[in-house]
Amino acid sequence: MNHTLKTIWILVLILIFILAFSSSYSNLSMDNLAYVLAIAVDTSDTNKLEVSFQFSTPLPAESSGSEKASDLINTVTASSLSNAINLVNGYLGKQINLSHCKVMIFSEELASQGISDEIYTLINDTQVRPSSNIIISKCTAKYYLEETKPELENLISKYYETFTDSSNYTGYMPDATIGNFFNNLVCKTCEPYAILGGVSLSPSESSDEIDSQKDYNIKANESSIQGKNSAENIGVAVFKEDKLVGELNALETIAFLTTRNKLDRFLVSVPDPLNQSNYLDIYLTPVHSSNIEVDTSSPNPYIKVKFSFAGRIYSMSENSDYLSPEVLDRVSNSCNRYLESTFSDYFYKSSKDFKADINGFGRYALQNFFTSKEYEDYHWSEIYKDAFFDVEVDTSVKSGMLINEI
Amino acid sequence: MLKSKIGTLEAIMLVLTIIVAQTMLSLPNHILKTYKSASILNVIYVSILAILITYVIFLLLKKFPGLDIIDISEWIGGKVFKNIVGILFISYFILSGSLLLRNFCESLKIIYYPMTNIIFIIGFFVISICLANRFDFNATLRTNLIILPVVLGSILFLFFTNINNFAPQRMFPILGEGIGHTFGLGLSNLASFGGISYLYFLPPLLEKPETFKKIALTSIGITALYLLLSISTLLFMFSFFISSSEISPLYTATRYIEFGSFFQRLEAIFLLIWILAFACYLSIITRFSMNIFKKLTHIDTQKPLLDIFGLLIFGLSLLPKNFALSQKFESEIYPYLVFAIVFALGIGILVIANLQKRKSKNASQTQSLERKEA
Repeated sequence: MNHTLKTIWILVLILIFILAFSSSYSNLSMDNLAYVLAIAVDTSDTNKLEVSFQFSTPLPAESSGSEKASDLINTVTASSLSNAINLVNGYLGKQINLSHCKVMIFSEELASQGISDEIYTLINDTQVRPSSNIIISKCTAKYYLEETKPELENLISKYYETFTDSSNYTGYMPDATIGNFFNNLVCKTCEPYAILGGVSLSPSESSDEIDSQKDYNIKANESSIQGKNSAENIGVAVFKEDKLVGELNALETIAFLTTRNKLDRFLVSVPDPLNQSNYLDIYLTPVHSSNIEVDTSSPNPYIKVKFSFAGRIYSMSENSDYLSPEVLDRVSNSCNRYLESTFSDYFYKSSKDFKADINGFGRYALQNFFTSKEYEDYHWSEIYKDAFFDVEVDTSVKSGMLINEI
Repeated sequence: MLKSKIGTLEAIMLVLTIIVAQTMLSLPNHILKTYKSASILNVIYVSILAILITYVIFLLLKKFPGLDIIDISEWIGGKVFKNIVGILFISYFILSGSLLLRNFCESLKIIYYPMTNIIFIIGFFVISICLANRFDFNATLRTNLIILPVVLGSILFLFFTNINNFAPQRMFPILGEGIGHTFGLGLSNLASFGGISYLYFLPPLLEKPETFKKIALTSIGITALYLLLSISTLLFMFSFFISSSEISPLYTATRYIEFGSFFQRLEAIFLLIWILAFACYLSIITRFSMNIFKKLTHIDTQKPLLDIFGLLIFGLSLLPKNFALSQKFESEIYPYLVFAIVFALGIGILVIANLQKRKSKNASQTQSLERKEA
């Protein structure tokens, strides 16, 4: 009798728990969820926001391996991001799940007005991954989303997963994530930044002048790349608190990423010391992390930044002689001068034009203070515009790569 | 009380369960919010104090070999005092366990079970501890011996895998809100070392009582290292725990671990480990509470108590109306509870007992001298 009662009691308990937990499991069941791959947020004339959700539709069972999975975009206008999600939930008859959302795109217009509400909403959602990338689109975010058509990937989700990888070796865009954006947004020592995106416009009329520096002064929307995938990401969107205040071009992005020690290697064109009208392409690799010292003894912060690079000459031409130590020294010096000027211009641009410390120099200033109050009284974010910079670059150009002498 | 005694390693892991349970919840958040950039300095400071306090407790308990705090309180104040001390310690164990359980279950609800009533999530833990405690206590201790090293390893893993996201400069300004705040008000952070409470009950349970000093100092030392590692990870990674976060900050840190596109979302493994560690913690506090109750009431069998203590934990954990209230308890009331019961009451009893012992020793020496003179 006792045994039977015990068995009944256990069975009843199991049943209760199955019923209690089944609602959560069915809520998280794949059949009931619509997985969002990307969100695009624009301003709207009829409401506060126009939010577009990109979903992946599964391939039919009889499809071949080379067939590309299609994706669909649903757009809704709403007063907030959470309301937009709710409206689309009702429309789709499935619950939107953001756990596979890899990209969040905001239009330039919206970003200039401030996106803190949207960022706080997204970060508050347990489904959103902190590693999701954040892009500020120079065109409307929806158009950027529509024009994103990966050429080498069958799945758009796979493209979103890997599209920032090139930032490690080109330095043309940062791997800006929503986690870091939020961290910088609430931080008192730095300002947030995002990837600058856009859709390539039709190529401009050809100019007679050929200038390799032009290749480094481009931003998203301005490149000459032509292909099926019109969406491109070049540059950094600079924020002051939650508002977009400026953009960095490709070369400035290299300077930004090098300062933040986020770049493995990069290519730059420096003036050829042997032929002033010519430029040499050099592959540079940071030898050490950037050395940053911030002096806050005066009301104008004095920031000293030292870089050290090892380089190899990439571009070759006839009659090149890159085995001679004198030539290599001259190339190294040319490289140092060029980079010092580039970095210095970039730092002053971030300070005077943007007034936004996206480099996180404020963190290095912290050690000059004993208490948080002393630091707060120094008003770093306001005083950053008065900063002075001293840049020192030490480049050691070794030689060419396979060919050293012609 | 136990079929077999507790080994040295088991005892060390047992003391560690409290800090592990607390760091899974809002303790790191509370420390970072209060001491900001001085959190590391504060943890080092309170760790040194905790080790000194532990050494003092060892010295005080040394005079009473084989006795726990309940026996010692009976020796100094009789049965009434023993009952008061016993009830206070039971209340401390059950109340803190219940409310930590509530907070942990609320976090689980937010992350994984949004549609499940909190009663069932709490009920799941309560049933599991009731079942686990039907076995011998050593079964729980041995499970703890397996789980705790994994938890400690997971914290090391968390630290090293997130090293790329670190900004060590966040430990400056070194004094945070100032000397007074870090070192004066910072004393309240001693509550992180609530695991000291187990030390009062360990002497009669140990297989080798002579290792008590080693157990006490090692466990508190590891607790300090564990806390330091957790706080450093969070301080170097985030600037936003200064604002509020409902879910455990350590859980948030686990979400940043990624190895390429293959190994992502490792937080699920961390959560599984933490659930097991939390169940061990609950099981241990229930067993200690039952042992104290048995000592107070001299009942023969503990089995009927299992369900009663389980129901008590269940009921108490449902008391707070919402998460905010249970978090308030954890961050504002719990530290005082630790101070009052673990430090003030515990050490107070030991000091009085030692003084009384010295007095009675002096009295007996004087009597023997007088007898000799006579």
